[in-house]
Amino acid sequence: MPSLSYREKTLYASLVAELVVYGPYFVLHRQNTVNKVAGMILGIIVLQAVLQSVIALVTRNRVTDERDRLIELRGYRAGYLTLATLMVVGLGLLWFHATMGRLPLENRWAALHFLSVFFGMLVISDIVKTVAQIVSYRRAL
Amino acid sequence: MPSIRNQIRELRAQRNLTQQELADQVGVTRQTVIAMEQDKYSPSLETAFRVARVLEVPLEECFQYEPRDGGRRSIKEERQRVSKP
Repeated sequence: MPSLSYREKTLYASLVAELVVYGPYFVLHRQNTVNKVAGMILGIIVLQAVLQSVIALVTRNRVTDERDRLIELRGYRAGYLTLATLMVVGLGLLWFHATMGRLPLENRWAALHFLSVFFGMLVISDIVKTVAQIVSYRRAL
Repeated sequence: MPSIRNQIRELRAQRNLTQQELADQVGVTRQTVIAMEQDKYSPSLETAFRVARVLEVPLEECFQYEPRDGGRRSIKEERQRVSKP
Protein backbone atom coordinates (compact mmCIF):
# COMPACT_ATOMS: atom_id res chain seq x y z
CA MET A 1 0.00 0.00 0.00
CA PRO A 2 2.48 2.67 -1.13
CA SER A 3 0.03 5.59 -1.25
CA LEU A 4 -1.20 5.17 2.31
CA SER A 5 0.32 7.01 5.23
CA TYR A 6 1.23 5.24 8.45
CA ARG A 7 -1.94 6.46 10.17
CA GLU A 8 -4.13 5.24 7.30
CA LYS A 9 -2.60 1.79 7.43
CA THR A 10 -3.23 1.57 11.16
CA LEU A 11 -6.84 2.63 10.59
CA TYR A 12 -7.45 -0.10 8.00
CA ALA A 13 -5.88 -2.61 10.39
CA SER A 14 -8.16 -1.38 13.18
CA LEU A 15 -11.21 -1.72 10.97
CA VAL A 16 -10.26 -5.28 9.98
CA ALA A 17 -9.65 -6.20 13.63
CA GLU A 18 -12.95 -4.68 14.70
CA LEU A 19 -14.93 -6.47 11.99
CA VAL A 20 -13.20 -9.82 12.59
CA VAL A 21 -13.65 -9.74 16.36
CA TYR A 22 -16.97 -7.91 16.68
CA GLY A 23 -18.61 -9.45 13.59
CA PRO A 24 -19.56 -12.65 15.38
CA TYR A 25 -20.88 -10.56 18.27
CA PHE A 26 -23.65 -9.23 16.08
CA VAL A 27 -24.22 -12.44 14.10
CA LEU A 28 -24.42 -14.65 17.19
CA HIS A 29 -26.10 -12.03 19.36
CA ARG A 30 -28.46 -14.44 21.14
CA GLN A 31 -25.64 -16.68 22.31
CA ASN A 32 -23.67 -13.95 24.08
CA THR A 33 -22.31 -14.56 27.54
CA VAL A 34 -20.20 -12.44 29.89
CA ASN A 35 -17.20 -14.63 29.10
CA LYS A 36 -17.75 -14.10 25.40
CA VAL A 37 -17.80 -10.33 25.78
CA ALA A 38 -14.67 -10.47 27.92
CA GLY A 39 -13.03 -12.75 25.35
CA MET A 40 -13.90 -10.31 22.60
CA ILE A 41 -12.32 -7.41 24.48
CA LEU A 42 -9.19 -9.49 25.04
CA GLY A 43 -9.25 -10.62 21.41
CA ILE A 44 -9.43 -7.08 20.02
CA ILE A 45 -6.56 -5.97 22.26
CA VAL A 46 -4.33 -8.87 21.16
CA LEU A 47 -5.24 -8.58 17.47
CA GLN A 48 -4.74 -4.80 17.48
CA ALA A 49 -1.37 -5.16 19.19
CA VAL A 50 -0.20 -7.72 16.62
CA LEU A 51 -1.46 -5.78 13.59
CA GLN A 52 -0.15 -2.40 14.81
CA SER A 53 3.25 -3.94 15.58
CA VAL A 54 3.49 -5.47 12.10
CA ILE A 55 2.53 -2.15 10.46
CA ALA A 56 5.04 -0.26 12.60
CA LEU A 57 7.75 -2.75 11.58
CA VAL A 58 7.08 -2.58 7.84
CA THR A 59 6.53 1.19 7.66
CA ARG A 60 9.71 3.22 7.56
CA ASN A 61 8.14 6.68 7.62
CA ARG A 62 5.96 6.94 10.71
CA VAL A 63 5.50 10.71 10.65
CA THR A 64 2.16 12.08 11.79
CA ASP A 65 1.19 15.70 11.37
CA GLU A 66 -1.55 18.27 12.00
CA ARG A 67 -3.80 16.79 9.29
CA ASP A 68 -3.64 13.40 10.99
CA ARG A 69 -4.63 15.00 14.27
CA LEU A 70 -7.49 16.92 12.63
CA ILE A 71 -8.81 13.75 11.00
CA GLU A 72 -8.49 11.91 14.30
CA LEU A 73 -10.60 14.59 15.99
CA ARG A 74 -13.21 14.33 13.24
CA GLY A 75 -13.37 10.59 13.78
CA TYR A 76 -13.82 11.03 17.52
CA ARG A 77 -16.58 13.57 16.91
CA ALA A 78 -18.42 11.17 14.60
CA GLY A 79 -17.96 8.36 17.13
CA TYR A 80 -19.17 10.50 20.02
CA LEU A 81 -22.25 11.68 18.13
CA THR A 82 -23.07 8.07 17.27
CA LEU A 83 -22.61 6.93 20.85
CA ALA A 84 -24.70 9.82 22.20
CA THR A 85 -27.49 9.11 19.70
CA LEU A 86 -27.51 5.40 20.48
CA MET A 87 -27.54 6.13 24.22
CA VAL A 88 -30.50 8.48 23.89
CA VAL A 89 -32.40 5.96 21.76
CA GLY A 90 -31.45 3.11 24.11
CA LEU A 91 -32.48 5.00 27.24
CA GLY A 92 -35.69 6.07 25.52
CA LEU A 93 -36.54 2.46 24.72
CA LEU A 94 -35.67 1.47 28.27
CA TRP A 95 -37.99 4.12 29.66
CA PHE A 96 -40.74 3.10 27.21
CA HIS A 97 -40.57 -0.58 28.15
CA ALA A 98 -40.36 0.26 31.87
CA THR A 99 -43.49 2.41 31.74
CA MET A 100 -45.29 -0.31 29.77
CA GLY A 101 -44.33 -2.84 32.45
CA ARG A 102 -42.46 -5.00 29.99
CA LEU A 103 -39.08 -4.86 31.66
CA PRO A 104 -38.41 -8.15 33.47
CA LEU A 105 -35.63 -6.86 35.70
CA GLU A 106 -36.00 -9.88 37.95
CA ASN A 107 -34.89 -12.00 35.03
CA ARG A 108 -31.22 -12.94 35.47
CA TRP A 109 -30.66 -12.52 31.75
CA ALA A 110 -31.64 -8.86 31.87
CA ALA A 111 -28.19 -7.82 33.14
CA LEU A 112 -26.50 -9.72 30.32
CA HIS A 113 -28.90 -8.18 27.85
CA PHE A 114 -28.04 -4.66 29.06
CA LEU A 115 -24.33 -5.53 28.92
CA SER A 116 -24.78 -6.74 25.36
CA VAL A 117 -26.70 -3.68 24.25
CA PHE A 118 -24.31 -1.14 25.77
CA PHE A 119 -21.26 -3.05 24.54
CA GLY A 120 -22.88 -3.08 21.09
CA MET A 121 -23.26 0.70 21.24
CA LEU A 122 -19.57 1.09 22.03
CA VAL A 123 -18.65 -1.25 19.18
CA ILE A 124 -20.82 0.60 16.64
CA SER A 125 -19.41 3.97 17.77
CA ASP A 126 -15.87 2.67 17.47
CA ILE A 127 -16.49 1.36 13.95
CA VAL A 128 -18.13 4.67 12.95
CA LYS A 129 -15.10 6.53 14.32
CA THR A 130 -12.68 4.41 12.30
CA VAL A 131 -14.76 4.59 9.11
CA ALA A 132 -15.15 8.38 9.46
CA GLN A 133 -11.38 8.72 9.70
CA ILE A 134 -10.80 6.50 6.66
CA VAL A 135 -13.36 8.48 4.64
CA SER A 136 -11.67 11.74 5.67
CA TYR A 137 -8.32 10.42 4.47
CA ARG A 138 -9.78 9.24 1.16
CA ARG A 139 -11.46 12.60 0.59
CA ALA A 140 -8.10 14.26 1.37
CA LEU A 141 -9.76 15.56 4.53
CA MET B 1 -12.98 23.58 -1.35
CA PRO B 2 -11.03 25.88 0.99
CA SER B 3 -10.78 29.55 0.11
CA ILE B 4 -6.99 29.45 0.37
CA ARG B 5 -5.17 28.63 -2.86
CA ASN B 6 -1.50 27.87 -3.17
CA GLN B 7 1.34 27.60 -5.66
CA ILE B 8 3.16 24.77 -3.91
CA ARG B 9 3.20 22.47 -6.92
CA GLU B 10 4.71 25.10 -9.24
CA LEU B 11 7.25 26.34 -6.70
CA ARG B 12 8.24 22.79 -5.81
CA ALA B 13 8.74 21.92 -9.48
CA GLN B 14 10.93 25.00 -9.97
CA ARG B 15 13.19 23.77 -7.17
CA ASN B 16 13.22 20.15 -8.36
CA LEU B 17 11.84 18.94 -5.07
CA THR B 18 9.77 15.78 -4.82
CA GLN B 19 6.64 15.70 -2.70
CA GLN B 20 8.42 13.44 -0.22
CA GLU B 21 11.43 15.77 0.03
CA LEU B 22 9.19 18.76 0.65
CA ALA B 23 7.17 16.79 3.20
CA ASP B 24 10.34 15.73 5.04
CA GLN B 25 11.67 19.28 5.18
CA VAL B 26 8.35 20.74 6.33
CA GLY B 27 7.69 17.94 8.79
CA VAL B 28 4.42 16.64 7.38
CA THR B 29 3.41 13.49 5.51
CA ARG B 30 3.55 13.20 1.72
CA GLN B 31 -0.24 12.78 1.75
CA THR B 32 -0.58 16.20 3.37
CA VAL B 33 1.57 17.78 0.65
CA ILE B 34 -0.63 16.08 -1.97
CA ALA B 35 -3.79 17.35 -0.25
CA MET B 36 -2.38 20.90 -0.08
CA GLU B 37 -1.33 20.85 -3.75
CA GLN B 38 -4.83 19.75 -4.73
CA ASP B 39 -6.32 22.61 -2.64
CA LYS B 40 -8.16 20.08 -0.54
CA TYR B 41 -6.47 21.01 2.69
CA SER B 42 -5.61 24.41 4.13
CA PRO B 43 -2.63 24.06 6.46
CA SER B 44 -2.23 25.81 9.78
CA LEU B 45 -0.43 29.15 9.80
CA GLU B 46 2.67 27.53 11.25
CA THR B 47 2.83 24.86 8.52
CA ALA B 48 2.15 27.49 5.85
CA PHE B 49 5.12 29.51 7.09
CA ARG B 50 7.30 26.40 7.13
CA VAL B 51 6.30 25.54 3.53
CA ALA B 52 7.08 29.08 2.39
CA ARG B 53 10.41 29.00 4.18
CA VAL B 54 11.42 25.67 2.59
CA LEU B 55 10.37 26.97 -0.83
CA GLU B 56 12.25 30.23 -0.10
CA VAL B 57 9.39 32.54 -1.00
CA PRO B 58 7.27 35.02 0.99
CA LEU B 59 4.11 33.53 2.44
CA GLU B 60 1.81 35.50 0.14
CA GLU B 61 3.63 34.21 -2.92
CA CYS B 62 2.95 30.67 -1.84
CA PHE B 63 -0.58 31.04 -0.43
CA GLN B 64 -3.39 33.29 -1.62
CA TYR B 65 -6.69 33.99 0.03
CA GLU B 66 -9.68 33.86 -2.31
CA PRO B 67 -12.97 34.63 -0.57
CA ARG B 68 -15.82 32.22 -1.22
CA ASP B 69 -17.96 35.03 -2.66
CA GLY B 70 -15.40 35.41 -5.45
CA GLY B 71 -13.88 38.56 -4.02
CA ARG B 72 -16.83 40.70 -5.03
CA ARG B 73 -16.40 42.90 -1.97
CA SER B 74 -14.21 45.94 -2.44
CA ILE B 75 -11.30 46.53 -0.08
CA LYS B 76 -13.27 49.38 1.50
CA GLU B 77 -16.24 47.08 2.12
CA GLU B 78 -13.97 44.41 3.53
CA ARG B 79 -12.33 46.93 5.91
CA GLN B 80 -15.74 48.13 7.07
CA ARG B 81 -16.86 44.55 7.63
CA VAL B 82 -13.75 43.66 9.64
CA SER B 83 -13.84 46.86 11.76
CA LYS B 84 -17.44 46.31 12.86
CA PRO B 85 -17.59 45.55 16.60
